[in-house]
Amino acid sequence: MQTHWHGVHLDGRTARRSAVTVHPSQDGLVITPETGETRRWAYAEIRQIQGRYAGEQIRIERRDDVAEALLIDDASFLSALHRLVPDRVTHFHNPARRPTLTRLTVAAGLLSVGLIGWLYVWGVPAMIAVATPYVPVAWEEEIGAAAVDYLIPAEERCTEPEHAAVIRRVVARLTASVSPQPYTFRVHIADSPDVNALAAPGGHIILFRGLLQRMRTPEELAGVLAHEMQHVLLRHGTRALLQSFSTGLLLAFITSGDPSGAAALGLESAHILNLLRHSRHQEAEADRAGMDMLRAAQIDPKGMIAFFESIRQHEHEQPGLLHYFSTHPDTAGRMSALRDRTMRASAQPVAVVPDYDWRRMRTVCTSGE
Amino acid sequence: MSEEAFPHTYHLDFSGSAGPLFGIFVRNVFLTLITFGVYYFWGKTRVRAYLFGQTSFADDRFVYHGTGAELFKGFLKGLVIFGMPLFVLDLLGNVASLPTGIRVLVGLLSLLLVLTLSGVAVVAAHRYRLSRTSWRAIRFSFRGGIREFVRLFLTGTLLTGVTLGFYYPVFFVRQMRFLIARSYVGNQRFQFDGSAAGLVGPYLLAIAVSAAVIIIVPFPTSFLQLLIWAFGLIVPWTAYLVKQQTYVWNHTSLGNAHFRLNIEGMDYFALKFGNLLLLVLTFGLGWPWVSVRNVRFMCTHLTLTGVLDFAAIEQDARAATATGEGLADLFGVDADVGIG
Repeated sequence: MQTHWHGVHLDGRTARRSAVTVHPSQDGLVITPETGETRRWAYAEIRQIQGRYAGEQIRIERRDDVAEALLIDDASFLSALHRLVPDRVTHFHNPARRPTLTRLTVAAGLLSVGLIGWLYVWGVPAMIAVATPYVPVAWEEEIGAAAVDYLIPAEERCTEPEHAAVIRRVVARLTASVSPQPYTFRVHIADSPDVNALAAPGGHIILFRGLLQRMRTPEELAGVLAHEMQHVLLRHGTRALLQSFSTGLLLAFITSGDPSGAAALGLESAHILNLLRHSRHQEAEADRAGMDMLRAAQIDPKGMIAFFESIRQHEHEQPGLLHYFSTHPDTAGRMSALRDRTMRASAQPVAVVPDYDWRRMRTVCTSGE
Repeated sequence: MSEEAFPHTYHLDFSGSAGPLFGIFVRNVFLTLITFGVYYFWGKTRVRAYLFGQTSFADDRFVYHGTGAELFKGFLKGLVIFGMPLFVLDLLGNVASLPTGIRVLVGLLSLLLVLTLSGVAVVAAHRYRLSRTSWRAIRFSFRGGIREFVRLFLTGTLLTGVTLGFYYPVFFVRQMRFLIARSYVGNQRFQFDGSAAGLVGPYLLAIAVSAAVIIIVPFPTSFLQLLIWAFGLIVPWTAYLVKQQTYVWNHTSLGNAHFRLNIEGMDYFALKFGNLLLLVLTFGLGWPWVSVRNVRFMCTHLTLTGVLDFAAIEQDARAATATGEGLADLFGVDADVGIG
């Protein structure tokens, strides 16, 4: 059995190297240079710095005021050490354990994939669901206001007092039906032919001109408003924001070794798909709660359904304009769910803004403001 | 040994491969996940120790002595000492009730603070990394003053802004001179003889070419135009980056030996383009291969020629803390003279 190994000794004072012979004894390493004194290094005062990977030179350092080092090319030295004095060199790498390490690494890789997948699909959304109710309303309002400013600049908003007042009345009727809630609803009208409505966090709702002009009754408006107000009350926007932020963090973490961010780009698109899937669930939730809101306010819920139907009929004529369905997906399914819910409506509906000539709503955004 | 006596050309040699690095990468991801991110600092150290340990010069490997605990402490310290004032300033700047004048002042203060700390991060991270690196058991060190560098950094940033970027190459060379000419291996100082004017020509050329592309080719509306734009902008700046890197190395020496970095724009472009493809096609999992390609590229092209008196290199280590590296992590600053 081999008892001596060739090595190189670095004295830690100059960059000179000197060839040595190393002999592992019971007490420590015996290092004999070609010329000069023999050194003895006790196992307790040395540690292995390099030589953990196949083919890597073994490097042992001895701590004193300056670190001396011993370099040995032959990995069999480590195996011999572990055979000779197993208890004293537990802090040294053992080549015999390499296959175990490889298996552990594979297991860690598989576990990581599982863990990341779990966090992505379930863990992060669950944490967000817990955290969302604690977001201060003041923050939501600030974020919502910023979002509205970004989406529709002030000069693209319609501010005719007549229409604003009517919409305020509908909102007031709906809010009166719910128990005390922290939001002040602000409805903004965008001067755009799009048939769409959006809710931003903190009580901001955007109605597009195209949507208002297409509405035949105030009940239709109440239906859309109830739906958007529920997005606010259920904090869907805030949740989506938190979700997007945390998933962004998760993505940044996974790809933290990747300086170009190319991988982040690929994962980000997967993330957007995930957000869309998530929003379908939220749309259904806002529908249900919106319908309950209409019922509580004694507003005829058929308006909401009638509006959906009228939109759907026109969907094929001007597909580009009907953005309502691109941000509010799966109309057919949601309509039938709503109809089921209407059946259960019992209270006698009370008309919304009966004293207002609804046809005047068509004139929204035409006063030249 | 007779290695000291004659002029010689020394090469860097990289003997590592992507396999073990991928193993480290996988273990790092797993441990970072289950420790809620804390292991990141230990992982970073592992990667660095591997890459350094596989790189050798004149038959001896480099050793990285940094520890994860140091980095973690440095990060926490950076967070408390520098992150808190920034956070407070940021809060103040968002208080709507404060007069506009004060809010503008607070904004300027934050900017100044961020710039100062970026400077601190660059120089302190450089100092930390060198102090934790050794070759033949001799530690590297950096002996420049932090305050002096920050002054240089702030003036340079200001002048670069005022001159609409034209001052940049001068600023860059000054930073490199400061960082290199105060770096030591043992008691031997590195020298830098680049001049501030040395990169102005190539820089102006890159500006001229990209300006010409922007003016001559209309704003891209077709794929072909987009392609011309992309190449018209990427090619001159890649060429400049190569020029900048080679310039720095070719003006650096140690004792009577001179460094020489011999890379062509095309090789560099092929390296970076290949790296991008590798990362995109593997969703980032190709990162270990990219790292190995980068280090190997530098090792192939960097040489040191001249007379090196190894016996004259004597141990003379200096202490350093990891706060700068922690700061660099906070700000994402990573400007350094490195071989990666």
